[in-house]
Amino acid sequence: MKRTLGIGLAVVLLVGVVTAIVLGQGGEPARLQTVRGVIGSEKLAFFADQRVKDVFAKHGLVVETDPAGSRQIATATDLDSYDFAFPSSAPAAEKIQRDRKAARTYAPFSSPMVVATFDPIADLLTKAGVVKPGPGYQTFDVQAYLELAAKGTRWDQLPGNTSYPARKNLLVTTTDPRDSNSAAMYLAITSFVANGGVVSSADAEARVLPAVSKLFLDQGYTQSSTEGPFEDYLSAGMGKTPLVLAYEAQFVDRVVRGDSSIRPDMKLLYPAPTVLSKHTLVPLRPNGDRVGELLQGDAELGKLAATFGFRTSDPQHFATVVKEKNLTVPQTIVDVVEPPAHETLERMLEAIAKQY
Amino acid sequence: MIRRLLPAAAALALLAGCSDSPDPARPVGDPTPGTLRVLAGSELADLQPILDEAANATGVSVKFDFTGTIEGAEKVASGEAEQGFDAVWFSSNRYLELVPDAQKRLGTPTKVMSSPVVLGLPAAKVTELGWDSKRVGWAEIAEAAGAQKFTYGMTDPSASNSGFSALVGVAAALSGSGSALDAAKVNAVAPQLKQFFSAQKLSAGSSGWLTEAFQRRARGEDPGARVDGLINYESVLLSSPEPLTLVYPSDGVVTADYPLTLLTSASGEAREAHQKLSEHLKSPDVQRKIMETTHRRPVVPQVQLDGKFAAKDLVELPFPGSQSAVDGLITTYFDQLRRPSRTLYVLDTSGSMQGDRIDGLRQAVTGLTGADQSLAGRFSRFHGREQVTLLPFSSSARPALKYEVPQDDPQPVLDQIRTTATNLDASGGTAIYSSLRGGYDVLRQQIDADPDRFTSIVLMTDGENTGSEDVTDFQLFHQGLPQDLKGIPIFPVLFGESATAEMEQVAKMSGGKVFDARSRSLSAAFKEIRGYQ
Repeated sequence: MKRTLGIGLAVVLLVGVVTAIVLGQGGEPARLQTVRGVIGSEKLAFFADQRVKDVFAKHGLVVETDPAGSRQIATATDLDSYDFAFPSSAPAAEKIQRDRKAARTYAPFSSPMVVATFDPIADLLTKAGVVKPGPGYQTFDVQAYLELAAKGTRWDQLPGNTSYPARKNLLVTTTDPRDSNSAAMYLAITSFVANGGVVSSADAEARVLPAVSKLFLDQGYTQSSTEGPFEDYLSAGMGKTPLVLAYEAQFVDRVVRGDSSIRPDMKLLYPAPTVLSKHTLVPLRPNGDRVGELLQGDAELGKLAATFGFRTSDPQHFATVVKEKNLTVPQTIVDVVEPPAHETLERMLEAIAKQY
Repeated sequence: MIRRLLPAAAALALLAGCSDSPDPARPVGDPTPGTLRVLAGSELADLQPILDEAANATGVSVKFDFTGTIEGAEKVASGEAEQGFDAVWFSSNRYLELVPDAQKRLGTPTKVMSSPVVLGLPAAKVTELGWDSKRVGWAEIAEAAGAQKFTYGMTDPSASNSGFSALVGVAAALSGSGSALDAAKVNAVAPQLKQFFSAQKLSAGSSGWLTEAFQRRARGEDPGARVDGLINYESVLLSSPEPLTLVYPSDGVVTADYPLTLLTSASGEAREAHQKLSEHLKSPDVQRKIMETTHRRPVVPQVQLDGKFAAKDLVELPFPGSQSAVDGLITTYFDQLRRPSRTLYVLDTSGSMQGDRIDGLRQAVTGLTGADQSLAGRFSRFHGREQVTLLPFSSSARPALKYEVPQDDPQPVLDQIRTTATNLDASGGTAIYSSLRGGYDVLRQQIDADPDRFTSIVLMTDGENTGSEDVTDFQLFHQGLPQDLKGIPIFPVLFGESATAEMEQVAKMSGGKVFDARSRSLSAAFKEIRGYQ
């Protein structure tokens, strides 16, 4: 008797659940579907923005995101609970796409790698021959920098340096090469210069590794996500982070926000050469595809992405923001190189990781 | 059917009964909406008023359970933290991120505030050293320390982040290479590091107790020798009732940045709570309030540093990039760099200790001989150069068993201590105070032969004194001791039916501290005491 009652109750409950699911997928327009994504942390603010949420809501979606280092997304994160992964580079996305057998990917926006610094540091490095005037913007000469770094040059050893006589190595602060995309992009740049071209052979890998490893290992502890060192740059200033590797978008985003976090003495340098970080979305379930399609095709989202500092697939969006906000960033960057193939980049990163 | 229901009902009743005493894996309870369960460093306790306001403003309240940096890292790495917590909040994630099993469990961090670890000295001392008119680097500080021109207190680097940061900072700065530390670089500057640590006269397992002991000594309330200054967080030094002048080494500092970090295992609700709380804590008004009330630096650029922060742009020293480098540095500190310890264990082996209790005692001592392979356990073993004396007692004191752990090959001596501990047997009465008094005879001899050591006494007893000398007799004896013996801190361990009030009295008269092993193992208490030895 009791057992029968129990089963009856379970059936009633089950019917209730099924009804709810059916209704949820069906015609009720007010019901939003939740889509979960794991994203490179530099896109966190974009997805958290109410205007962005509103656009997604118009299309029936609520997008929930967890930030993580882009390589962490590709290697360590358990992706099963997510509908999409949105790392900050093509190589990381390539790996996820292969691992998860995703049919396609979306690359709705990109951002060049930059070095953010302060006026006194830029002046010092101009004297040291590392910072040079470029076509409408200041460049960070990677070759000259590598030469200083190879010698283990400390800041206090730069001739005539009274503005920043710190007793630590002259190094660009990056993220951890074991976890983060921006560090991998940095490796793409520095290995290109050390090799005199894109690294594409085992010989070349072996040849450039000592020099490029040093750029990471000599920093000691590094943070795993790009927001970390950039926030240090903004709040702790020159003492902690005289030179930080960042996405151009991080800097532009702050200027557009006008929250006075970018002070007048803060400067952007464009590495010569630099690479583009191509933010690439990998759908893991059908709802992830919908997010990718909207980001790629929706003009409203494109405009919003540009206000977060991203260069969009339609360059007009970014150009408008630059004009409106009177930004001192170049429309086009001339000296851009391609990152090495995914396997090459991974092998070099592994080789560096082993030395920790 | 009815019968099958019975066990379930019994299980329910059992569960209900259990809820009175919290599950040890969930010391702050089960997941609850609107509550963030946080495993934290004890220095976060002063944020409570800010968090109370945050609870009002956001509906998210924080429940803390406090632990040390390394122990905390261990709990995160083993997955234990995930069982009972949604987030961790230590003064820094640096060590955690170097432990791969811990790193992969860390989710979103929000850096809430920052505070560098610096040296605080009385203004007169700073002037005397000539440091009021110029900024000095760690090398000059180490040199003055080596010449005993000042003394200081610092926490145990394996137990507390401020000591840990100071150790990394001074080692990085002295190595002078400007890049991150490795073993070779540490060895190259070992002589200067030894000089620097020769002036450390006070150690503690927590920043809070260190500051209190420093102040009690300064006011003459503790019999221990006065210490000139402290190495601690800027925030702690700025709030010291004994005014201190802060010395910011020109070559750099290591800074705590207090990341409130979600665990990847956290539920959606906890995630949301974390985000809400983070946004609130980083709003300019709250940041300003944190700066004003806790003397920590804001992390949002919109809030300007106020006048009490004498140095603005602090150079941050590089931090080691691997766990092995950090662990190696801490081990070197204990075995080679710091002033060696002299520790006397006065151990109750009376009849009431029979059974589980004597077993627990054997394990507690054995754990310190290298048997405890946990992270925290490895650092709390008896260190190279340490003098260890075991003084078991029952109706009277038994012969003292003295050991000195060699710096280079410690294992044979550690094995001897282990054998002795394993052979401890329980019988007879409990003559606490005559035995404790006897311990001073041992220490007197050792101090006469070699005065420059951290000396301390651990007193472990499980019950009332049955000897003819009582605590009043001991107090009289203690008052008559010469300064160097009187200032030796006694760390009584509460166990079984310990006389709590008497133990408090013994701790107080000697400038020590009581440790409670009634609700945890003796091993855990003995391990914690290591931070104070």
